[in-house]
Amino acid sequence: MELSRRTLLGGFAAVAGGAVVGCSSGMDAGTTTKKNTATELTMWCWPGGLGKSVLDDTIAHFPDPKIKYSEIGGDFKQKLVTTFNGGTSIPDITGIKGEDIASLLPQAERFVDLKTVGADSVLGEYLEWKVKQATTLDGKVVGLPIDIGPTALFYREDIFAAGGLPSDPAKVAEQLKTWDDFFAAGVELKKANPKAPIVGDATGLYDIVVGQGTDRYISKENKFIGDQDHIRKAWDTVVKAMTLKIDGKTPSGEPDWNAGLDQGTVPAHIGAAWVALDIKSAVKTSAGKWRLAPTPSGPANFGGSFLAITKNAADPQKAFEVIKYMLSPDNEAKAFADAQIFPSTPAAYDKAQLKAADKFFGGQVPIDVFGPAAKAIPVAYQSPYDDSVAAPFHDELKTVQTGAKTSDAAWSAAVSKAKAIAKRQGVQ
Amino acid sequence: MTVTASVSAPRVTRAPVKRRIWSYWRFYLALSPFYVLFAVFGLYPMLSTIVLAFQRWDGLSARRFTGLDNFAFLIKDPTFWQALENTVVLFLMSTVPTLVLALVLAVMLQSAVRFTNVYRIAYFIPNVTSLVAMAIFFSSIFSTNFGLVNAALRSLGIPQQDWLGQPWGIKIAISTMIVWQWVGYNTLIYLAGLQAIPKEQYEAAKVDGAGAVRTFFSITLPQLRPVVLFTVVMSTIGGLQTFTEPQVMVGNSGGTGQSGMTVVLFFYRAAFLDNDYGYAAAIALSIFALVLLFTAINWRIFRGRGEDR
Repeated sequence: MELSRRTLLGGFAAVAGGAVVGCSSGMDAGTTTKKNTATELTMWCWPGGLGKSVLDDTIAHFPDPKIKYSEIGGDFKQKLVTTFNGGTSIPDITGIKGEDIASLLPQAERFVDLKTVGADSVLGEYLEWKVKQATTLDGKVVGLPIDIGPTALFYREDIFAAGGLPSDPAKVAEQLKTWDDFFAAGVELKKANPKAPIVGDATGLYDIVVGQGTDRYISKENKFIGDQDHIRKAWDTVVKAMTLKIDGKTPSGEPDWNAGLDQGTVPAHIGAAWVALDIKSAVKTSAGKWRLAPTPSGPANFGGSFLAITKNAADPQKAFEVIKYMLSPDNEAKAFADAQIFPSTPAAYDKAQLKAADKFFGGQVPIDVFGPAAKAIPVAYQSPYDDSVAAPFHDELKTVQTGAKTSDAAWSAAVSKAKAIAKRQGVQ
Repeated sequence: MTVTASVSAPRVTRAPVKRRIWSYWRFYLALSPFYVLFAVFGLYPMLSTIVLAFQRWDGLSARRFTGLDNFAFLIKDPTFWQALENTVVLFLMSTVPTLVLALVLAVMLQSAVRFTNVYRIAYFIPNVTSLVAMAIFFSSIFSTNFGLVNAALRSLGIPQQDWLGQPWGIKIAISTMIVWQWVGYNTLIYLAGLQAIPKEQYEAAKVDGAGAVRTFFSITLPQLRPVVLFTVVMSTIGGLQTFTEPQVMVGNSGGTGQSGMTVVLFFYRAAFLDNDYGYAAAIALSIFALVLLFTAINWRIFRGRGEDR
């Protein structure tokens, strides 16, 4: 047979047909219920997701079946999703990051509803708003919270004092109650010290202000509400920081931010409890000069993760025993001492590990600020498409920050882009 | 083909051809690893991308066939057009200086007498350095308050610039990095091309009294044309797929005003951040079309007149 163009095309068509068949067999992957073997209990989490001593202790505590822990680096959710699609080697227990939980809730049938394995007895120990994040609208609980990220105001005591602002945490808490107070203090600080803008990066503040509310971009009824007053108010708050010229335009985590923490050009930062680690590792000379105060206008949550059991688990009951043990208040306190993993169980806040004073914060006890914040975080419904819809708002805020667009022009661009994305995802 | 022809004639010829093909099975077996690997890791993903471009898929749920929906959305998506514009601008901002610099360096290296190998290695090192590490390094070079570039500007009395916060600054930072990375690679290729040019032509030019500039434009450049075409095509393919540099330097959003958002970054965002795989596949196909288009344009320009074969 000669290799004519026709036979070649025929060959391609056959391969293409095979590809289509291959795809279609992947279509019903959602219903695979191939169980894992009962001889091993596999567990996945990302580096630093669980405290080391807690992990070692848990593995020792459950000898049968033996827990096989795998640390998965890189894009964790991506690897989990790929494994789900592959249909083999799916872990019995897996971590789920806080930013991914909303998009995985529609896949609740791939996970064990923890209520069916006796979660009711322990759910009360966890912060209610956090459990809600892992609960589907019809009441299935997909994950047990590992940690949370309550926010606070981190600030340089020496620079606040030199700039004529209150410097004692109690006084700061009293005077900087709202964003308006905070911005007013920023204007005052700028007069005394023009190199110290109180807002590190206004666009970074945006998510925190949105997180202080009880509504986000998409409502429970799957309606787009990103163009409404609550988002516009958050937007205007951030824009106000820019127009008052107290915005340092220094995104956190960047080289400028790291250097600025020590040099005093980033005198304050509003962020989650885990930011403490970033600040501690970035600074050399300003240790002991940092303090903590409540977030102006109330706390928000940033980050925090869950442990879930997949439908492939050989023994969901046993798997639940493991995660229940791992995430008990005692072990959560230990994980905090290990790796600053902030407990999701209020009972842990009274343990010795959390009550310890922190020299970095001049002997202040961080839990005195983060504890009350954790309990007061507002509950907001987060749609699976929340992140995608929020992206245009972030992008457009940056154009306001650099002066490329006016606030109103950027706002209408953000709303129309967000609406288009939401509509594409089937939001009304 | 007529019926009579298919009945009588092929019988004689077909059998030997078949036998001949089978008698070479060892050779086909020896060649097969490439084709098998290509089919599994090249052809199958390509075909499934094409299929995926006509579907909606969030990565986990069942796929849904939606026809041309993804493409319809793509055409109306302002971010896509912005990404396309950024990509082309970045491509021009990086490829033109890269190739000009590489050519100049290659000609200089060709005439250099001492330490030629040292220079060759030195110029090539950026090409084999980890891209992510270099992107982090470059982003600190261009950082506003404590960056090297701004420190140099300040020492010259020029006010510092917010490089990674301004649309044009982001483009300059990204293209600088691409130039830095690819100059050495192209220099080496030009150098190889230069060495293939017969010495006699230069000697003849010398005898005729041509200067260095005249020699360069009349002999070196025309003789290098096929090499230039190769580097232009390679740079086009690479440049239109710029991803790591903007992703590490300005993040997944593409920075201020999305001015660092390239088409591949847009694709990455659609697939792995928005979990909109069907849409991402449609974007991937648009990148493919774009590369084809640009390669064809390059081919036309650089192949030159009179050489149409």
